[in-house]
Amino acid sequence: MKAKYINPFLNATLDLFREFMGLDVKAGQPYILEDPQDLSDVSALIGLAGETSGAVVLSFDHDTALKVVSRLVGKNYPFLGAEVLDGVGELVNIIAGNAKKDLLDFRISISLPGVITGSSYRINWPKGVPVISIPFTSDVGDFRVNVSLKEIL
Amino acid sequence: MKILIVDDSEVMRRIHKNTLVEQKIPEEVLREASDGVEAMKIAIAEEIDLFLVDWNMPNLDGLSFVKKLRDMGNYERTPIIMITSEAAKYNVIEAIQAGVTNYVVKPIRGTVLWDKIKPYLDEIGS
Repeated sequence: MKAKYINPFLNATLDLFREFMGLDVKAGQPYILEDPQDLSDVSALIGLAGETSGAVVLSFDHDTALKVVSRLVGKNYPFLGAEVLDGVGELVNIIAGNAKKDLLDFRISISLPGVITGSSYRINWPKGVPVISIPFTSDVGDFRVNVSLKEIL
Repeated sequence: MKILIVDDSEVMRRIHKNTLVEQKIPEEVLREASDGVEAMKIAIAEEIDLFLVDWNMPNLDGLSFVKKLRDMGNYERTPIIMITSEAAKYNVIEAIQAGVTNYVVKPIRGTVLWDKIKPYLDEIGS
């Protein structure tokens, strides 16, 4: 997948976590995820449709999810309740929606976000399209943004 | 004065509400809806002076809600601020064409959002 399709998601994530939430976040080198089902405890998923198709999954462990949503809302959440899951969904919604402004090759619509938790869930990624994982390290824990986007050009 | 916050995310409604309450807007004037259908019911039942509307919502999305609201007659000129993650230029154009008064891309700091909201409240109050 071309860098021009990955960088908008990378930059939108940095903008959200670093510039907006003030977290010390660093992006690692994106890589092809050999096992697309290799995800952490909490994953927020959003579908991309329109002139292309794909999906974006923001995945982090339980503690990182709590800390990030606590930072977003300005309230300390002690456990992974409905409001935290809602906040995690909002994060992937912001990443996908913000990335759209730099994905100039396609007109894209984004789905409503969904959030899944646990250790044995599976995601139906678009078939025949590689999943690129962008790893991030931060002062509240590591997380990944996985992107699969069909290149139709 | 009544302000209706329309967003399917409880967290986002809480954030917007906190922004307004921090600026001394009394909680009693704030209404909340989790989608366009619920928002439409409130807009019919009560007279709303300012709408803060998300785009992507279940049942009736923000754009469809704005179009319906503008067609109702009594909300032709009421300010509607769309607060959404949809950052593409074509989305902004579509929203303005549908009747949105102002367009704000999430994430947005409370102080910046307040700067967008305040002129409308001043106008309502005057």
